[in-house]
Formats: sequence, structure tokens, C-alpha cells
Amino acid sequence: AMEERPYRSASGAPIALRCRQHSASCRELAVRCPRLQLRSLSAVTSAVWLAAYGLFAVSENSMVLSAAIFTTLIGLIIYLHFVKVDQESLLVIGSLGIQVTSSYASGKESTTFIEMSQVKDVVINEAIHMQKVIYYLCILLQDPGDPQGVSEVVPLFQSSKPRLDCLIEVYKSCQEILEQRKTAPQSS
Amino acid sequence: ENSPAPLPERAIYGFALFLGSWFGFMLYLIWAYIPETWLFSLGLTYWPQKYWAVALPAYLLVAVGIGYILLFGINMMSTAPLNSTHTITDNYAKKQQQKKFQEEAIPALRDIPISEVNRMFFLPEK
Repeated sequence: AMEERPYRSASGAPIALRCRQHSASCRELAVRCPRLQLRSLSAVTSAVWLAAYGLFAVSENSMVLSAAIFTTLIGLIIYLHFVKVDQESLLVIGSLGIQVTSSYASGKESTTFIEMSQVKDVVINEAIHMQKVIYYLCILLQDPGDPQGVSEVVPLFQSSKPRLDCLIEVYKSCQEILEQRKTAPQSS
Repeated sequence: ENSPAPLPERAIYGFALFLGSWFGFMLYLIWAYIPETWLFSLGLTYWPQKYWAVALPAYLLVAVGIGYILLFGINMMSTAPLNSTHTITDNYAKKQQQKKFQEEAIPALRDIPISEVNRMFFLPEK
């Protein structure tokens, strides 16, 4: 079963949550971030080129123009490959673990896998971030020495920053699967 | 003993500070404006350069301006990042003792773990 619903990010941009259930204990939740807008790209490019043309008019050095073109190209490639996230997804497999994938606009995908024995819980936490208080979903990792302790916090959906309504959907889906490991603790 | 009410001693302190600050301001004006030759003829020769009469206020104002930005930056730096455990718990919460539950008494104040809070808020009980 697969469905896609529109939501809003913390800054107001439209995002979409896609929830796929592969089996009873395996679910994939993907948040698609807003695409790179053509108008903001052309605005930045024209601003940089206008500034370079202004510098060229002042300094009479044509290297400024070629440097501006080069900078714009390299900057765009770096932005698409390292900064602009296209989709962030969470794959929760009941007995195995949780896989977090970020796909960038250039096609690069970076994944992190966390074993189920290390996962203490998936919670919605609130924290201060850049003069705002935001809700964000995070995975609490178990502290091996202390059953009640948390050793590490892994924040999820950092680039898309969904709002609370989207986070509650993801939270409920994850909790349905995480509860299964309490009721059916079978050795794998 | 620690009330903010006016007392005779406080009035005397206030008046002494008032006289002292007026005297300091008059001294500063004299130092800044009266020409050096006049001061020398009075016998007052060992005073700092007049350059400082302008430099010190300038330094002070720039320091106040930088202080605004510095305080803002220090606040941003001491905010816990999103991936730190300080957003969830701290030393006092880890070391808290569980008090026994008494019937018909208000439960003792304690830090509720975040998992429990989340379940209460976001998972509706059927």
C-alpha cells in the first residue's frame, strides 16, 4: 500500500510524505523536499554576474568575468551535490534495524543503518534551532551500560524539517513497528 | 534586613556618588578642553596625552557595539545542537530517585522520560 500526502516544512515550503508498507513489520517513510526553484537560481546567478560586471567596469580586468562564470558553475555543482537534499527516507524493518537515506539533487545517496538492538526509541523532540523552537524526529540510541540511559541522539529529516502533523504520522508508523519487538521478542 | 527601602546611609552613598561623578566629569572636561600651556602655567604637567580624551570614549562605544554581537554569538554557541543528549536529559534527571507512591497524596515532582511524554501526547489511548 502506498500513499503520498502533502505537508509543509518548518519554513513553509511544501513537502510530501510517502508511506509504503512492504510487509507487516517493514515500512518505508519518505519525505520529498521542495525542488530547486528556477527563479531563485536565476536570481542568484544574475546577482553574481551583475556584481562581476560592476567589478569589471571598475577594474577593467576581464579575468573578473571569467572568474564569476567559473565560480557560479562550481558553486552550483557543489550545492547540488553536497547541500541540496531531494528526498529523505526512513526504512524501518522490525527485527533488523532502521535505515536512514538522504538523496541529493545530483543523485548522490548517503545511507546510515542502525541495528534494532541499538535503538531505544523513536521520539519527537523539541529544541531551539536558530532563534526558533522546532519539533524534529530523532532516534534515541541505547546506552549499553545503562538500560534507562540514552547514549546518542540521531536527528532525522534535517533538511526537509517537517512540521508537527507530518512528524506525528511518521511517529505513529514507527511506534507500530517498534511495539512489535516488545510483544514478540524472538531470537533471529 | 535586605529591603530596598531608602535609608540614611543609602542617601549619603548616593550623594557621595553624585558629587564624585560630577567632579570626574568636570575634571575630564578641563583635561580635554583647556590648552596644555595654561595647565603648565598652573603647574599641572603630569597629565595623560589629550589624544586619550577622544580615544577612550571611541573605544568604549565600539566595545559596547561589539558586546551586542558577542553576546548574541555566545548565546548561539551555548545552545545545545540538535544531536546532543542535553536536549533530552541532564545530570539531575539521571540521578533522580524514585519516591514511593502514596495514596491520596500529590505525586512527587520528577522528570518524565521523553518516550513516555511522546506516547501520552501523540498516541491516543483507545
